[in-house]
Amino acid sequence: MSSSGKGESKSRSTSRGDLTEVADCVWEIARAGGMRVPGRVYADETLLPQILSDKGLEQVVNVAHLPGIVSYSLAMPDIHWGYGFPIGGVAATDPSEGGVVSPGGVGYDINCGVRLVASSMRREDVEDRIPELINALFRDVPCGLGSSGAIGKLSPRDVRDVMADGARWAVTRGYGTETDLDRTEEGGCLSSADPSTVGKRAIERGRSQVGTLGSGNHFIEIGYVDEVYDEARAAAFGLGLGRVTLMIHSGSRGLGYQVCDDYLDVMQHAVPKYGISLPDRQLACAPVESQEGRRYLSAMACAANYAWANRQVMMVLAKRSIAGVMMAGEAELGLRLVYDVCHNIAKMERHRVGDREKLLCIHRKGATRAFPGDHNGVPDCYRSAGQPVLIPGDMGTHSFVSAGTHTALDETFGSCCHGAGRVMSRTKARKAARGRNLAEELRRMGVYVTAEGKATLAEEMPSAYKNVSDVVDVMDRAGIARKVVRLKPLGVVKG
Amino acid sequence: MAERPHYTEIDHTADVGVEFCAHDLVSAFERAAACMFDLISPLNEIGSGWSRRVAVEGRSGDLEHLMIRWLSELLYMATSEQVLLSRFRIEELDVKGCGAGDGSRIVALVHGERINAACRTIRIEIKAPTYHYLRVEETREGWMVRVIFDT
Repeated sequence: MSSSGKGESKSRSTSRGDLTEVADCVWEIARAGGMRVPGRVYADETLLPQILSDKGLEQVVNVAHLPGIVSYSLAMPDIHWGYGFPIGGVAATDPSEGGVVSPGGVGYDINCGVRLVASSMRREDVEDRIPELINALFRDVPCGLGSSGAIGKLSPRDVRDVMADGARWAVTRGYGTETDLDRTEEGGCLSSADPSTVGKRAIERGRSQVGTLGSGNHFIEIGYVDEVYDEARAAAFGLGLGRVTLMIHSGSRGLGYQVCDDYLDVMQHAVPKYGISLPDRQLACAPVESQEGRRYLSAMACAANYAWANRQVMMVLAKRSIAGVMMAGEAELGLRLVYDVCHNIAKMERHRVGDREKLLCIHRKGATRAFPGDHNGVPDCYRSAGQPVLIPGDMGTHSFVSAGTHTALDETFGSCCHGAGRVMSRTKARKAARGRNLAEELRRMGVYVTAEGKATLAEEMPSAYKNVSDVVDVMDRAGIARKVVRLKPLGVVKG
Repeated sequence: MAERPHYTEIDHTADVGVEFCAHDLVSAFERAAACMFDLISPLNEIGSGWSRRVAVEGRSGDLEHLMIRWLSELLYMATSEQVLLSRFRIEELDVKGCGAGDGSRIVALVHGERINAACRTIRIEIKAPTYHYLRVEETREGWMVRVIFDT
C-alpha cells in the first residue's frame, strides 16, 4: 500500500542547461510539461551556482503549474529551497481566469516582515553602550520559542480586535503614533480581514504573543548607516551617514502558523473538488473566487494584521528600552519609523498586464513589495524617493535599504528580494559551528550578540547565508530596487 | 527518559527534515512523532510524567494526510499545554475509514514533560510539518517515511 498523492503531477529537476539569459541578471526557464507560464530568475554568474545547488529552481517550475498564474513564476536572487514555493518566490494569479490562492505561497509565518527605525544618534553615541542596549532589549522584548507576556494576556475578543485593526489596535492603546501607520505597508491593516474566518485554536495561540519576537531567524538589531549610495533618497528616508538604526524582524507568531495549518487542510479538500493538478501537495490551493479561497484570504489578512500589531508593539517596547539606557527622551533621540514591509503575504493588487490593468492575487513568499514613489500605495513622504525596501543580511555583515521602481512594477509585480537567502542548511551550519565560540567571533567582527538558544546562533551564522551585497546588487543592476544605504550591525538580539 | 529515535536528517537549505524506515505502519507513525520532538529537544532528556490520550482523523486511505494531521495535532498539543512530548504509543490505527468517522483515524497515548525553559535545551522551533517531499510508502525494506518541517 502506498500513500495517496491526490491531485499530483510530477515535479522535475532543473539544471543550468534549462536557463537562458534574456536580459542582464534575468534568466528564463522555458515552459514545459504542465507549466502554464515560464519561470524567471534574477541572478548573476556569482549567485547562479549557489541557486543551482538546491531545489529552489525546481520549486519555481512547480509554482508555474498554478491555475491562473500570470506572466511568469518569479524568483528573486535570494531564492532558496523552501516548501511548496521557493523562498524568494513571487507569483501573480488572475481571479478572472480561475486564478488560485495558495497558503503555501505565503507560508506559516504570515506577514513575517521587517521594520526599520532611524534615529539622530551617532554611532559614537552608542558604540560603548551596545552590550547594555542589547541586554536591555533582550530583557524588555520577550524572545525565544513560545515567548509570551509582553503586554499581558489578551481576551479572545481582544485578539479579534487585533486581527481586525492591525497596527492601529496598538496605536489606539498608546503604542506609537498615527505617523507610524502612514509608514507601514497597507497602513498596517488589510481591510479584508474577517475574524470569523479564524479558528479558536489560532485565537488561543494569539492571546499572549503580541509584542514578542519568537525564535529562528527573527531578530532585533542595532546598527548604523555605514555607506550612502543615493544622498537624496537617504535624506528622504532620514538615514544619514553614521546615524544609528534599529531593525526588527518578526511575524504573526503561533496565530499565523495555526491559520496556515488550518487552511492548508481546507485546501487539501479543495484541490480535488476544483479538479486542480499540482506537482507538490504543499502548493494546495483554491480559486481566489471560491468560498475556500475567499475565507483563506480573510483569515490570512487577520494574521497579517496581528503581525503588524506585533511589530508595532515591539518597536515601542524597544524604543522605550533604548531611551531608558540612553537616559534621554525618544524625541530627543530622534527615534522614528522609516518603514515596515511584509515579506510573506498574498495580496490583491492592481497591476498592468499587457495593455490592461488587472486585479491580481500577488503571492510574495520571502519577497518584499518594491513600489515606485508615485504609486498610490506609497506614503506622500516618499513620493520622490520611492517605497523603502528593507533587506536584512546576516547578523555579521550588512543590511541594505533600497527604493522601489517602475521597473519592479513592470517586471516583478512590484517585488524585490527580502534578504541574503540561506546557502547552508541548518544541519550543516550546526556542524560547521561545532567547537567554535560564535558569539566571540561576532564580537571580534564588532557585533555584540545575545541569543535565547546557542543552536539558533549556530544556524544563523554569517556563512550560512549568501553575500547580501551580491543579492542587492542584482536587484539594483536589473533596475528592480535602487540601493540607497548600507547598514552595519553593532548588536543583535536573536530569538 | 525516552530513547532517541533513529533517523537521517535531510540537508534542506531553509528547514529541517527527517527520513527513516520502519518495520510497520504503527511504528512509522510513532517514530515520525518521536523524530519531530527529538528535533525540538533530544528525547533522552525529556521525562514522561505527563500523559494525554489523543485522537486524530484524516481522509480515508490518505496516509500523507493522516501523517500531517497526526504531527500537527501533537505540535498543537505541545504548544497549548506547554509540554515537550517524548513517548508515543498508538492504540488504534485505522487507515481505511472503518472507524467512527468516515476517514482514517489514530488513537494514541502520548507522554511528555512540562517545559521548564530554565533547564531545557530547545534546539529549534518547528512551525509545522509540511507536505513538501512527504513520503509515507511501503517498500521491500519496510515503511519509508520522509517529512520536512517548517522551522
